[in-house]
Amino acid sequence: MQTTENKGLVIFFYVCIAVFSVICLVPFVLAVSGSLSTESRIAAEGYSFWPRGFTFETYQFLFGSKAEQILRAYAMSLFVTVLGTLTAVLVTTAYAYVISVKGFRLKNFFAFFAYFTMLFSGGTLPWYLLSTKYYHLGDTLLGLFIPYVLSVFLMFLMANYFRSIPHEIVESAQIDGAGHLRIFFSIMIPLGRVGLVTISLFYALQFWNDFYLPLMLVTDQELYTIQYLMYNMMANIQFLASGNAAQVGGAIIAPPLETAKMAMTCLTVLPIAILYPFLQGFFVKGIIVGSVKG
Amino acid sequence: MIKKKGWLSLLLATVFLVSGCSQGNNESATPGNTDSNSGTGTAPATAGGSEGTALAPAKLKIVLYGDESNRMKELAKTEFYDVVKKEINAEVEFQFLPWTEYGGGKTDLMLSTGEDFATYTDANYMVKSVAKGLYTDLTPYIPAAADLSATVDEASFRAFQLDGKQYAVPVGNKPNSAEFYSVLVRQDLLEEAGMTQVTSLAELEQFYDKAHALHPELIGYANTDARRMLQYDFTDKNLYWQNDFIALDESAKDDQIISWFESPEFKTYAGLMHGWYKKGIIPKYAATNVPQLQSDWNSGKAMFWAGTAARPFEGAATISQAVPEAKLVNYFLGTGRPKISRGTYSTAFFVSAAAKDPERYVMFFNLLQKNQELYDLFAYGIEGTDYTLDANGRLTKINTDSLIPDWLLMNKNFMRFDNTVPDDFIADYKAWDDGAIISKGAGFNFDNTPVKNEETKLNGVFTEYLAPIGSGFSDYDSAYPKALERLKAAGIDKYIAEYQKQFSAWYAKQQ
Amino acid sequence: MTQEATPGTPGQLVPAKRTVSARRFRKSLRKDSSLYLLALPGIIILILFAYLPMSGLILVFKNYNFNDGIFGSPWAGFANFEFFFSSMEDALRATRNTVMLNALYMLTGTFFSVAIAIILNELRSKWFIKITQSVMFFPYFISWIIIGAILFSLLDYDKGILNQLLQSLGLAQMDWYSSPWLFVVILVLANIWKSAGYGAIIYYAVLQGVDTSYYEAARIDGASRWQIITKITIPMLIPSIILMTLLGIGGMLKGDLSMIMGVTFLNPLLLPTTDIIDVYVYRTAIRSGEFGFASAITLYQSVFGFILVLVANKLAGWYDKDSKLF
Repeated sequence: MQTTENKGLVIFFYVCIAVFSVICLVPFVLAVSGSLSTESRIAAEGYSFWPRGFTFETYQFLFGSKAEQILRAYAMSLFVTVLGTLTAVLVTTAYAYVISVKGFRLKNFFAFFAYFTMLFSGGTLPWYLLSTKYYHLGDTLLGLFIPYVLSVFLMFLMANYFRSIPHEIVESAQIDGAGHLRIFFSIMIPLGRVGLVTISLFYALQFWNDFYLPLMLVTDQELYTIQYLMYNMMANIQFLASGNAAQVGGAIIAPPLETAKMAMTCLTVLPIAILYPFLQGFFVKGIIVGSVKG
Repeated sequence: MIKKKGWLSLLLATVFLVSGCSQGNNESATPGNTDSNSGTGTAPATAGGSEGTALAPAKLKIVLYGDESNRMKELAKTEFYDVVKKEINAEVEFQFLPWTEYGGGKTDLMLSTGEDFATYTDANYMVKSVAKGLYTDLTPYIPAAADLSATVDEASFRAFQLDGKQYAVPVGNKPNSAEFYSVLVRQDLLEEAGMTQVTSLAELEQFYDKAHALHPELIGYANTDARRMLQYDFTDKNLYWQNDFIALDESAKDDQIISWFESPEFKTYAGLMHGWYKKGIIPKYAATNVPQLQSDWNSGKAMFWAGTAARPFEGAATISQAVPEAKLVNYFLGTGRPKISRGTYSTAFFVSAAAKDPERYVMFFNLLQKNQELYDLFAYGIEGTDYTLDANGRLTKINTDSLIPDWLLMNKNFMRFDNTVPDDFIADYKAWDDGAIISKGAGFNFDNTPVKNEETKLNGVFTEYLAPIGSGFSDYDSAYPKALERLKAAGIDKYIAEYQKQFSAWYAKQQ
Repeated sequence: MTQEATPGTPGQLVPAKRTVSARRFRKSLRKDSSLYLLALPGIIILILFAYLPMSGLILVFKNYNFNDGIFGSPWAGFANFEFFFSSMEDALRATRNTVMLNALYMLTGTFFSVAIAIILNELRSKWFIKITQSVMFFPYFISWIIIGAILFSLLDYDKGILNQLLQSLGLAQMDWYSSPWLFVVILVLANIWKSAGYGAIIYYAVLQGVDTSYYEAARIDGASRWQIITKITIPMLIPSIILMTLLGIGGMLKGDLSMIMGVTFLNPLLLPTTDIIDVYVYRTAIRSGEFGFASAITLYQSVFGFILVLVANKLAGWYDKDSKLF
């Protein structure tokens, strides 16, 4: 009796997840097919699962003479993502450990100190003023990730993972005379691998997706990231398509507005979609290693 | 308690640090201002002979919006740099920002933190920024733009003055009267429907009916605003809109402003639009997806649009990708009312308040419209490398990369046409402004400080209640009472009174 | 500050507390010095990029102009708040809509994220988990503009897929874009679709960290799958659910402008339910270029969220002292 009931439940579970996954996949397929369609047919007939009038025109328009710049922007994004994630994970886990130490009298203060910044912000003007005039982050590599190396949300998430590590392990280490630094590096980090891998993944995505820091702090094209480059191109295409830019003089290129949106989604999401299973392999392995040790 | 003290001292430290910052900022701005004052003294001496030998070296940063093309990047370091250096002894640097940062965003941040640069603006953004002290008053330096002043219309200069002070230098000179007062018709469809021209609203609707019968998949009008093209039917006045709320009657020689939404004309107009909406001339989805209308037009799925002088040829290229035989012609739905112009400028350049040498910036703007050679260089690049000219002076681009945006510089004294544009279009285009009048409100800039709250709230009422009535999505009779009640609650009366007061005072001074 | 009055502190100790705590503080400073060291990089980042810029908050009470700078500009008092609170009807509606939508997002989002995590935890096929987990994460990357465009092709009155479906079933077409309450459902569904996969990863990671011996013991005791889920899995997730809720509650009054713009195109007919604070500020203050007004309302959103968090944190403390945020 019991096993059949369980079997039914398990099949139900598989079906639920499968259906939801398919629904999640739909827009992605539409985006890929949209980016390979002709602009006029998309505008007239809407999106479809199969490209309408299969063409690479949109990609040709986007890449144009910019192939080299796009490649460089990909490299810059990758570099910033790796460097940013490493720094961020270190800063975040250290802070998270501090607020998760049992009996540390200032842990609530530090937790509050961080949380407060999630709610209140002084707006972009003072932030911009300080970052450019006083920290001199304009047109620097540091400016592309340093302001974002402590996400308070992920810090609390990490502290939550740390708290779930059995307290006895920490206590026995303390009895052995281990200080906080040793406990943090040789116990908490290995045991908190599950959380560590999770926040690394989220940080990596945050740095990959960010276009705000380059928008604010970068003018040098060498430092453009792929998201910023795409943001810039999209804003320009929207302006051209709005009909405000009268171009009576030269040859007019009609920008492919709809298909470009789709192509840009593909260009920025695709690398992640391809890398994700690998990242996830790392992620799952981390979880397994973490849980075995736990 | 310890926690509390720590907290407080931190906050205090914060305040001191940043107040230190802002003072430092002021100090850096002040010497800049004195510099520029001493520059004023020399202005008359240098303005005449603008060959840059006597000038001290200067650095200029010009911000442009859009995507920097490879060719622009090259030229900015070579020919553009060299020619500016030679002409006005300045090292020019171009910085590109995304269009989203125009009139706000990063532009605002750069201005507020005292960066030294110049870029372009519009009257709205200018009024707001001048109120915050973000622009340099360019009045003393205008003599340095003597060549530009000769090729740019006088009324365009007035559009960028506040209290008699020049805060931005207009660039461009092109026919742009009666913007959106004409109907841009797909002539190919019109002829297919057995008609030759459109001269009235009745004929336009007749065109829709016939074309709809032939092509039921097409929509009629690819926009949600037709107040200008339809004015020949809902009023005898010659209306010109100052903003969403206020119109002027250009046929009356008085200083009376019209509260558009409270006028009987609005009622008639809303009725016409509601008819269009019910009939399907404006599609049902227009209430939601306005960008789709633009796509429809661009892909040849609409019968008519609002016209401007340049649209027959600039729009044709877009549509012809989808419909190669498409042909566009402008029609007015009535006659006997002069075309109204706001001035013939394309845009206007301002200089940031912290600029060390505002005069040199003005000299740079002067170069943009100085003569044919410089215009060709900035707009099209180098002949033979970037473009060629045929015997008629028609342009063929070799390289499609855009340089300093074409639309920005466009000046009828210098501009060149692509060799695909038919001669009759060019003739029509050049004659477009003949008989046009400058709006009696041109050059008036409303100071909204006394009614900031009212204006902000009115914008909320407009987007929620009045825009749908004006576009015909809601029925005037049932929706208007509520909308009017909201308008009154938001302070329309106070707003109109303040506007009238300022306009009358300004108008009296003009006479 | 709120932690000062920890329940159970005997009253008679208060007079002696200061000197003792000062001495203890110095001692603990030495003992915990390595903790301060660990927190230091984070503290520096918070001070540089959050606390120092926070001085800009005083701009909300000022009429900023460039020549006088941040501190020299004249005071404006509460003038920047006036436009919002003087049209009380709009302010209340915007606040209500924001809270309503956020509460719905939070409830449904948490439910689906947790449910997915639990289900994934029950499945054994590794490749299936791997693929579906990746796929469910995709929507998180797709911008609201694209989602809005796709929804439009579903919901359009004439050409929309849903209405064509309704017609083929012999039913009347629905005018989706003029039904404000129906759109609440659509927004909630869109939100679940976009963020459930992301949330599920957080909860799933927690479950992966759970000691497997709990499950084995339960299975040996003959517990059914359902019992294991309700008796072991869900209790394991409770602290994380509380944490995520507390973190979310501070943003209760902050709405996602890009979502409403992308999905509803700011259709006026939908505003009765979709006019959240950020949308209202966008179509009034930002449209008129009054950015001072906009930052004033941001402060209102923060203060309101702060009060909510303080209350919620207290409540969480009553439930379990360890699940407090601070």
